[in-house]
Amino acid sequence: MRTRTAALALGTAATMVLTGCSSMSGSQADGTVTLNMVESLTNPARTDLLKGLIGDFEQQNPKIKVNLISPPTEQADQKIQQMLQSGSGVDTLEVRDTTVGPWSNNGWLYDMKPDLKAWKGWKAMTENAVKASEDADGKTYFVPYGFYGLSVFYRTDLIKEAGFSKPPATWDELLEQASAIHDPGKRRFGYAFRGGANAQGNATAVIEAYVADEIDPADGFKLKDGSTIFSAPEALDAMQTYLKLFKDASPKSSVSWGYPEMVEGFSNGSTAFLLQDPEVIATVSESKSIKKDQWSTAPLVAGPSGKTVQPLATAGWGVAKGSKNKAEAVKLVEFLSEGEASTNFTKKNSLVPILKSATEDPFYKTGPWSSYVTMTENPDTYLNVSQPRGVAWWAEWQQKADADIQKMVLGKATPKELLAGWDTYWIEKRQQEN
Amino acid sequence: MPTASETTEPTEPTKTRRTAAAGASGNGGARPARTVQQGRRKPEFTARRGFLIALFMAPAAIFVAVFTYYPMIAGSQMAFRNWKLTDLTDTSWVGLKNFRDVFADPAWGTVLGNTGIWVFGSIVPQLVIGFALALWLRRKFRFRGLYQALIFFPWAISGFLIGILFRWMFNSEFGVVNDLLQKAGLIDEPVAWLADPKTAMFAVVVANVWYGVTFFTIMILAALQSIPEELYEAAALDGAGKVRTLFQITIPYIRVTLALTVLLRIIWIFNFPDLIFGMTGGGPNNETHIVTTWMIKITQQGDYGRASALGLIVVATLMVFAVFFLLATREKREVKP
Repeated sequence: MRTRTAALALGTAATMVLTGCSSMSGSQADGTVTLNMVESLTNPARTDLLKGLIGDFEQQNPKIKVNLISPPTEQADQKIQQMLQSGSGVDTLEVRDTTVGPWSNNGWLYDMKPDLKAWKGWKAMTENAVKASEDADGKTYFVPYGFYGLSVFYRTDLIKEAGFSKPPATWDELLEQASAIHDPGKRRFGYAFRGGANAQGNATAVIEAYVADEIDPADGFKLKDGSTIFSAPEALDAMQTYLKLFKDASPKSSVSWGYPEMVEGFSNGSTAFLLQDPEVIATVSESKSIKKDQWSTAPLVAGPSGKTVQPLATAGWGVAKGSKNKAEAVKLVEFLSEGEASTNFTKKNSLVPILKSATEDPFYKTGPWSSYVTMTENPDTYLNVSQPRGVAWWAEWQQKADADIQKMVLGKATPKELLAGWDTYWIEKRQQEN
Repeated sequence: MPTASETTEPTEPTKTRRTAAAGASGNGGARPARTVQQGRRKPEFTARRGFLIALFMAPAAIFVAVFTYYPMIAGSQMAFRNWKLTDLTDTSWVGLKNFRDVFADPAWGTVLGNTGIWVFGSIVPQLVIGFALALWLRRKFRFRGLYQALIFFPWAISGFLIGILFRWMFNSEFGVVNDLLQKAGLIDEPVAWLADPKTAMFAVVVANVWYGVTFFTIMILAALQSIPEELYEAAALDGAGKVRTLFQITIPYIRVTLALTVLLRIIWIFNFPDLIFGMTGGGPNNETHIVTTWMIKITQQGDYGRASALGLIVVATLMVFAVFFLLATREKREVKP
């Protein structure tokens, strides 16, 4: 009797462990396939949006069911990595320009190129989107769903009060206007400086704007003569201006500001300027501290030559190499990357669209969105340059660069030292690559 | 289900009985019956009984093995391999390289120094304030229960949440700390507490003191309540003052509890990255990292090999503390029979 109880207990435990470990995806006897899809830049509104799109997909493809997994954003990439490492459990997944390098390097992503050869969706996509879907070897590890591009969010009322008639067009003007508005005693600050996570993104944007005339369009970290952008004398001017922007026009605590603090600083009405992606439009629109007529956006500020560089960041949908249902997984990627589904996703998620037709949409022509259209329509002033975000050491670079920027703003390194360090880093990494 | 006779030992010392398990299976008759010696209760241990115990323990043992020991061993061997998440194609053996990398890191000195400040800067005020609060709460007064609940409240909140709370309190632009200090006339302009490396470590220690005082108060209050009232009455009759009573009765009586609490807290504080993560994330410029937050940072960077090496160093350090801990526990038995 006792043996039977023990055996039962053991059996139950074993079953629990085994069911816990087994994957939910796979095909059933009636031919229905269940795909596991994991998103990474998760938020509740976006998850609902995705679920709606998936519902449409399932309706069109009754033999395919999609199980959406939405881990919290901060842990999502790590969670996806663990799932990919285990070799199963993921079919379709969100791949970002910053994760595609290490993940494809580890052999976790499926090259969709052959499957997508005959896909009609290519023709509807913008040049940027087609370019972003291919890596240096011509492989397609993800199809972008949209782009994140910088523009200047500014306070219309505050610049008027300070005596300026229009928003800044160059970094120098930004420094001038932000300094004029900055008054810590009144808890009013000029610029929402990014000193914390991903500080390197904005710092690189300044440098790229200053070297716009000489930059290599195929690699935003290189000049046309092959040297790094950090070695140019203009890069030093850029960094000095940027450091001044911190010292003269930014809140002291912004030395550790990341995305949430910056957006909060602008939308709570205390900070006059913010450099951010279009997705912030939705957040600022909901602010109760600043009204609709108190803010707008302007195109990304330029360097001394009047030109600037759009460091477009992107993300998209890819397929795991370990997936047992690749054909169906690719089908889902195709569905999300074309037509109604794509337009819906970029609009509701505030992204620069991947479809050519979207620029004709009145949605993108009015209000805060118009600055993005201005940038897209003037490619000679707002240069489109690819950044080498897919390299395997991108995450390492980000961390190093972020730390260096903090060092600089805290006065522990000069702009010159910072740039010399970055120059050496990129030269070394490129040499190791070859 | 086992019957009562199967699970309980014989109550009559002189009674001879066959082992229950043997009897139940039916083949135990071949074995000689055991006699339980007079005056002693000796558990009957047979191979079959041992097997059953093992069988019942197996699920727990399997769980512990799978979820504790396997990750520990797997993690330990990572410390000697080139285990980087960005490139898992080469996870070859690198010997002690990861350990060397930990010590060679330019930030290591700061991290180590910060760990010292973090542990000792927190523990001393926690002990002093906790002691004072416990002495105060020991007296009987109105609303004592309410005060106790208020003082013990921080212990119920997660460390990370407290970190975020204090991050806003110490915020240089909108924080309540600057506001209060300015209104009190102690500072002229707002201090960038968490943005300045010189003040950031001070701020996180202050938050930790606030959080940890509670634990000392609870422990010391419990110990104080075990001191017999007659001792104080006798001391009062002998004319001892408050200070003398504190140093000659109170402290000696609860000495062991104090020592144990301090040791326990040293281990906990050493191992407590939550608050720092919530407040500064180790910044600015890595100036508020302690060993455990540093380890998490390296893990986030994807260098599992080096993080694992640092993990082993942490385990080794904590083992040294554990030895102190055990020695202190042994002393407890001698003092209080």
